[in-house]
Amino acid sequence: MKCTSKCKTIRILSLCDEQLIRLSRKNVLSLSLEEMKVIQSYFKKLKRDPTDIEIETIAQTWSEHCKHKTLTGIIEYTEEESGKKTKKTYNNLLKETVFKASVELNKPWCLSVFKDNAGIIEFDSENGVAFKVETHNHPSALEPYGGSATGIGGVIRDILGVGLGAKPLANTDVFCFGDPDMEVSKVPEGVHHPKRIMRGVVSGVRDYGNRMGIPTVNGAICFDDGYMSNPLVYCGTMGIIPKNKIDKKVESGDLVLVVGGKTGRDGIHGATFSSIQLDKESDVSAVQIGNPIIEKKVLDTMLKARDLNLYRAVTDCGAGGLSSAIGELGEKTGAVVYLDKVPLKYDGLCPWEIWISEAQERMVFAVPPKNIDKVIEIFEEEDVEAVCIGEFTDDKKLTLVYDNDVIASMDMEFLHNGVPKPTRRAFYKVKKEKVQKPVKMNSFEISNSLISLLADLNVCSKEWIVRQYDHEVQGQTVIKPLQGCNIEVSGPGDAAVIFPYTVIKDTKKCIVLSNGLNPQYGKKNPYKMAASAIEESLRNAVAVGADIRKMAILDNFCWGSPNDLEVLGSLVRATKACYDMSKAFEVPFISGKDSLHNEYSINEKKYSIPPVLLISAIGVIENVENTVTMPFKKGGNKVFVLGVTRNELGGSVFSKVKNIEDGVVPGVYPRESKDMMEKIYSAISENLIEACHDCSEGGIAVAVSEMAFSANKGVKIDIDAIKIYSCLEEEFRSDNSEMTPAEILFSESNGRFIIEIKPDNEEKFKKILDGSVFSEIGYIRDDKKVIFESRKNNIRVQQSSEFLLNSWRNTINW
Amino acid sequence: MFEIEILTKKDFKDSRGERVLSDICGLGVTNVTKAEYSQLYVVDGDINLSETEMIASELLVDKVTESYIIRKCCAEYCSEVILKSSDAKENDRLNSNFSVIEVWYKKGVTDTVSESVVKAVEDLGIVKEIKVKTGYKYYLYGKISRTILLNTIATKLLANTLIQECKVHCLADKKA
Repeated sequence: MKCTSKCKTIRILSLCDEQLIRLSRKNVLSLSLEEMKVIQSYFKKLKRDPTDIEIETIAQTWSEHCKHKTLTGIIEYTEEESGKKTKKTYNNLLKETVFKASVELNKPWCLSVFKDNAGIIEFDSENGVAFKVETHNHPSALEPYGGSATGIGGVIRDILGVGLGAKPLANTDVFCFGDPDMEVSKVPEGVHHPKRIMRGVVSGVRDYGNRMGIPTVNGAICFDDGYMSNPLVYCGTMGIIPKNKIDKKVESGDLVLVVGGKTGRDGIHGATFSSIQLDKESDVSAVQIGNPIIEKKVLDTMLKARDLNLYRAVTDCGAGGLSSAIGELGEKTGAVVYLDKVPLKYDGLCPWEIWISEAQERMVFAVPPKNIDKVIEIFEEEDVEAVCIGEFTDDKKLTLVYDNDVIASMDMEFLHNGVPKPTRRAFYKVKKEKVQKPVKMNSFEISNSLISLLADLNVCSKEWIVRQYDHEVQGQTVIKPLQGCNIEVSGPGDAAVIFPYTVIKDTKKCIVLSNGLNPQYGKKNPYKMAASAIEESLRNAVAVGADIRKMAILDNFCWGSPNDLEVLGSLVRATKACYDMSKAFEVPFISGKDSLHNEYSINEKKYSIPPVLLISAIGVIENVENTVTMPFKKGGNKVFVLGVTRNELGGSVFSKVKNIEDGVVPGVYPRESKDMMEKIYSAISENLIEACHDCSEGGIAVAVSEMAFSANKGVKIDIDAIKIYSCLEEEFRSDNSEMTPAEILFSESNGRFIIEIKPDNEEKFKKILDGSVFSEIGYIRDDKKVIFESRKNNIRVQQSSEFLLNSWRNTINW
Repeated sequence: MFEIEILTKKDFKDSRGERVLSDICGLGVTNVTKAEYSQLYVVDGDINLSETEMIASELLVDKVTESYIIRKCCAEYCSEVILKSSDAKENDRLNSNFSVIEVWYKKGVTDTVSESVVKAVEDLGIVKEIKVKTGYKYYLYGKISRTILLNTIATKLLANTLIQECKVHCLADKKA
């Protein structure tokens, strides 16, 4: 070991506990005292102090971002319900909940689960579909444009780096922002205004995604003041991969080839930075700037090399840069890397900066020596820089060399498995939910509420964003994000469908992508929030024609600090819901990610985000012709509601708009819901359904309105015909006197769909639905009048579909 | 060293300028009456005026909707004297009453547009070692104090001070 002027020795062997902690903070290592002591002890055995690059490598590899220490660590969980406490210890929360469900379900069509850069399910006998969703929250809070652009760039590289590389077919994005109309004076110092963040984030995703030639087809946005300082930016990519390209294995003697962008100082400490809370002094070097043109060239060239079987493994440089990528690929073999060979943007970088920089658009390949010239030739033909910087060894050590000096030498075993398991405590008190006082409204008040709900930020049209994204590029988007008569008259689609006919010749199969997100429910009941997100993602997919028997889901937990007992307790509750719902719906998780420490400190007071679980769903539909959209199709056709309406206004948009504190958060009833979803698939497969839309935010009133105004049609709905179930009683009731018309119209009960049926198909449709709860509630009108009527309660709400459309369209119209 | 400025022609809609004006109003600053936007490129290296004009006219400007201005620059200062202009009408701007905010990337921040320009200049046939720096310029009309320009408009709207820096030329200062 030799230290050059650019490589320092870090003296830790003699440090006391307090000094170890100070060292971790000073160098932004985000390592706990226990972890620092394990490092100290390792180097004591080696009888030397570590170099700066060794300490940085360990910090990156052991970061929360890379190791998911909270979800895989030990959690001593206490739950209190009705004064009674129960305790449970999780040795690995992820393995005992989310992952456990997938293992127990053991679906043969799941080809790669939680072990690579993305999850993969079977598409057909020769191909798989890969899907990954990532978060890029902290960078987007500091630099919205660059942060979100590199968010989408990073997740695209995850798809390029799964197996031997998948071809990206579609992007998704989901955002949570503060109120864009927030008064400037109320925005804390050092925080960007939510509108500025939103504009920057949308532009970043737009510019990167569009320039990559990948359509952005599906997404969601949630607004809540809790996200003012900590916006959430989820980016997802789906791609297709031949089954024989899913496995990768590095062999000793393979060369380490770095391909794509040059390395600069951008993104230093990104991985460890994501484990700390933001404040106004947060570090500039954590900001990454993306260049989609380079990534596009990498994409095109690497797939060419893949198809010629020229390399044995690939992964992307994400958090931790070369450190994580090469460390990961060389875990079972060992690697020696010559850092002075890494192409740099400019001079002056220290070796440790080169090693952990998160400069974008870089991929690392393991290439057999005999193929190296051919691989480099393919990249250079398209002006993509490809440089050999080392080789994979058989000594199971990570060796870093700079200017002929060995500046790091560590065991891969210590690096990857040496991190001590933290033990955290978690507590959750189950709160009893209370049904709100009956919401009695006259026709005028219900009408005004409907308009307010359509205009609410969490319901209104996101056209301003959707139209900035190219959702048509590649020409395979069959079901699009906005659906309706024309560009001016459209409504929100439930899910996107991609028909990959240009990649897989003569196929009839297609891929459905959807999502579920309910942060408002999470404020009251994290278990129901997680369960609802899972159900909603499946419901959205089923609404366009998906078969839930061929669907898989991805989890993305965004939470506050796990150091807070109750915050961690709510996370445990959510993971429990993931296990329960995955098992009950028989839908496995195939990939996931967590982003913790989403909190901001102002004047030493900490503000945590409302916890949220994003569920992204993917499925394969057998026949692309059997898919449906949400706008009504023809006057005279019948309208049905499928599923039970319960008195569930807790966390609903209606409660927020009307300032109703109480209310039961919508629950999930998997047995009835799963059965309904399977029957809808059968009905769609037999071409019995003309239009289908899921009931979510805003309930039946909003869903029916969206179906009507997107078609420029009217509809008459009989509120008295909607079947309800009182939450307070065990038995289903067809008599809906337990709920007021407003509660029936705006309840957000899960498991419901609005369906349009031709009168001729009614009999066949009812036969399929036999045994389930459904009711005919009205018919479609050509006169463009949207009417909700309850004779029993003397209610008649009437609006023109055009007026409702404009109420929905005009909120975000920048 | 030359500075190339790309402006929207007067007869065309300057949508970015209009958006900035609307956002300035959103910040509660009501005395800005008009905002105009332009892109800036500083080209440094062994390059002459005619080559710079070729870069401006053949690479950077959309000849239908945009015009360009070329000025002489040194490290810290850019002359107000226009060496070349594709549209003489643009020279009138020098006589108008406006404040200016220029936004540039801080040293060390990746500037992907400049990387593309360097590559494209080579593709144009100008094979010389050059460096390019990119920025934005906002012309703001109306009576605006330096404090509002710097602390509100520049830092809360136009530049992210984490990665960008601003140069502010305040009309009020000039008049004083």
